[in-house]
Amino acid sequence: MSNKPLSRRTFIGAAGATAGAVAVGRGVWATMLSDSVEQSALIGIGSAPSTTTTLASSGAVPYGDRILVVLEMAGGNDAINTLVPGSGLYKDARRELALPSNELVRLAGTDYTLHPALAPLAPHWDAGSMAAVAGVGLMEQSRSHFKAMDTWWSGSPGTPSQTGWLGRWLDATLEGPNDPLRAIALGGGSRALVGERTLATVVRNPANFSLKTFPNMDTDALIKAFLATAEPLAMSPELAAAQEAIPATLEAVELLASVSGGDDDGAMFGSGSQGGAMTATDLLQTAAGIITLGIGTRVITVGISGFDTHADQLPRHHELLADVGTGLAAFFERLAADGNLDKVMVVTTSEFGRRIQENGSYGTDHGTGGLQFVFGPEVVGGQVVGDLNLANPVDGDLPILVDTRSVYSVALDWLGGPTDEILAGPHDRLGLVA
Amino acid sequence: MTTRDDIAFLARRVAWGLAPGQLDKFEAVGTSAYIDALVDPDGAGIAAEPSPWAGFEYTHDQELRQQQGLETLDRWTTHLVKTDRPYENTMAWFWHDHFAVSFQVVKYLPILIDHLDLIRDQGFGDFRELIRSVSTDSAMLVFLDGATSTGQAPNENYGRELLELYTIGIGNYTEDDVAAASVALTGWVVRRRLLGEAQFVPGRHDSTPQLLLGEMVSDVDSVVDAACSHSACAGFIAAKVARFFLGNPSDSVVGRITDRFAASGLDMAVLARDVLDAGLAGESTLQIVAPVPWLVGALKATTAQIEPRIRIGLLRLMGQVPGSPPNVGGFPGASTWLASSATAARFSAANVVARATPDDAAAIRLAADGDWDGLADLFLRPQGFSEATLAALRDLPTNVSTRRGEGALALSLASPDLLVA
Repeated sequence: MSNKPLSRRTFIGAAGATAGAVAVGRGVWATMLSDSVEQSALIGIGSAPSTTTTLASSGAVPYGDRILVVLEMAGGNDAINTLVPGSGLYKDARRELALPSNELVRLAGTDYTLHPALAPLAPHWDAGSMAAVAGVGLMEQSRSHFKAMDTWWSGSPGTPSQTGWLGRWLDATLEGPNDPLRAIALGGGSRALVGERTLATVVRNPANFSLKTFPNMDTDALIKAFLATAEPLAMSPELAAAQEAIPATLEAVELLASVSGGDDDGAMFGSGSQGGAMTATDLLQTAAGIITLGIGTRVITVGISGFDTHADQLPRHHELLADVGTGLAAFFERLAADGNLDKVMVVTTSEFGRRIQENGSYGTDHGTGGLQFVFGPEVVGGQVVGDLNLANPVDGDLPILVDTRSVYSVALDWLGGPTDEILAGPHDRLGLVA
Repeated sequence: MTTRDDIAFLARRVAWGLAPGQLDKFEAVGTSAYIDALVDPDGAGIAAEPSPWAGFEYTHDQELRQQQGLETLDRWTTHLVKTDRPYENTMAWFWHDHFAVSFQVVKYLPILIDHLDLIRDQGFGDFRELIRSVSTDSAMLVFLDGATSTGQAPNENYGRELLELYTIGIGNYTEDDVAAASVALTGWVVRRRLLGEAQFVPGRHDSTPQLLLGEMVSDVDSVVDAACSHSACAGFIAAKVARFFLGNPSDSVVGRITDRFAASGLDMAVLARDVLDAGLAGESTLQIVAPVPWLVGALKATTAQIEPRIRIGLLRLMGQVPGSPPNVGGFPGASTWLASSATAARFSAANVVARATPDDAAAIRLAADGDWDGLADLFLRPQGFSEATLAALRDLPTNVSTRRGEGALALSLASPDLLVA
């Protein structure tokens, strides 16, 4: 199959015209959202764009050039075996799963140690650009994956909002028609990106994100015709939604073609029946490439999964954290090499922590209090904010000591806000930033 | 709505497509005969079909594992294309999405195949029996860790999802209920040396009576009874089945279907007929088509022949592989199939299907002749293509592909029209 590059001219004008003509009813989109834990976007004729991006920047990098990368570790990462508390209670609770103390990575200035697979991150801790937030969550948090993820994504406890915390920021700062490349979800969609007026680009696997034809096909003509099926928009909201995806996709394919790695044909017709989950390492390399492209992308989510370690946790968790550790370290190296390190904040999320006591399957069940890491030039690194408090469990769980909206606030402040109206704040910034 | 429209609607939602000529055939017998044949194929004289995996010879050869996994999926998708009893197979797919047992977690093929046979054999009958069977099914015991859950250290994975995802839904149980169910469900193991047979081992079971949803429970039967007798169960299942086939039916329709499902003692056959009757009465909204139904429909209409490795590869590219739901919640919802990744993949897959469509197939002939209404009808859109797609097809140069018709066929398959049913 041939994989011809598109000519951006063939569709860019039509894409703009489509964006201007968008008129999708909110009701249908909201309904579609409600049945989905995946990405979507609401497009409507909304209120006038906010002008809050004009806030003066205090740092060297103007707000408009700053980028937020959110690493979403789906399944509920085990906080205690990621950032290991110094307490002697650790080995009591984790008789089978306690990590050997001689392999743990010491963190200067704290009793906590890191899982050995996260050793590549230690230099960032030492350099003061990495902080941990422990015992983090939202009140009324659920042990259900889906309820917990709804809460985490929306950043609104109680009855979760239909929109995500990042989607609301994208809405608030949207000027003019939607630009799908302002927010890119790698590895799969993120509910955090769902906005009312913002449409994010979702790229499940960057390595095979392309339009393929056979050599007997005039690819340009067929793609041009494919684009033509997007206009005029149908009355049916569902059909219109399917149409709108086309110009946005063609533009994203064109722009991302230059930054995705991997063997394209191999990815498409590879040997397997496997689902093809992407690694954090690969996805973060694509993220670094997008940042280098400088196409105005402000928010990138990186979705990885597998953290639901009810059984045989030790080897699985090691593999997952090794991917995170080496992936983030390589990502920061690439940013530094490209001169972009000052532009990027990274926040990790996971929908809950796991129970203090292990279960009988060499694993851990769903808990509440979790763990987040924050990386960035303005981060006051080398500190653990909050606590993984093993001594005072609540129903066998780590108590939630820090509201994750505090971490979200720090992230949205980095982008230039407005923060407090998006997160029903103000929330304590916890001394995470200078 | 004409009879042809009604049958096309039922065939899109239940059969995921029809082979050339079938729409004419079913139109001739009429809507009520078609719906009877869907809901009660035995009564309509449509012969029972053997398991898609009948005669599958599993060997313990590690080197063949991938090949055997591929064959398992290939037999499944082939059966979805060829079956004359589509409703029971579509319901089996519904249960696959519902229970979401993953081939990535449960790696032993014989118990996976048993699980697939189970949801196909029991998915159209008594819901309570289905839940009882699934609760001690080897694949499920491995998937949600029941096989390693003991009275000394109960694992809550299955107990929680039984309540949250499989029977009554969130908001209808407490954390204490999860713990109670988990204790009462302990004691089951999967014997690898006995080809994955599930066995009850009393020494691993905690028989202390537990309070679950107001009932005292101490074993699988009593846990299943407590969950399925809960007032939320009928509505939870009926609403999910209704949404699966009808999009977003009104609350009043879901309420009516729920009441009849509850009164029937959770008989899936009753629910299955009521859902289709509601759809024919206009109680449905358009749906976004997921990759598996899209490909099944495309293969039926075009009669394209695609080798198994590539067929499964296409599903992987589009993001929905049988046996690989991304998490315990099953396959993602409509918006995922509208995302950029899925849109690009659909274009590529449409090209593969068009390429593999034989020269003498109706799809190629209609596309080559520019019979756009005929082509839309073949794809079960008797009202024709949308204005935009029709214009794009008309404007497409006839020499876009060296084989006449192939380009137009690829475009129609990739069009937004076929993403909506």
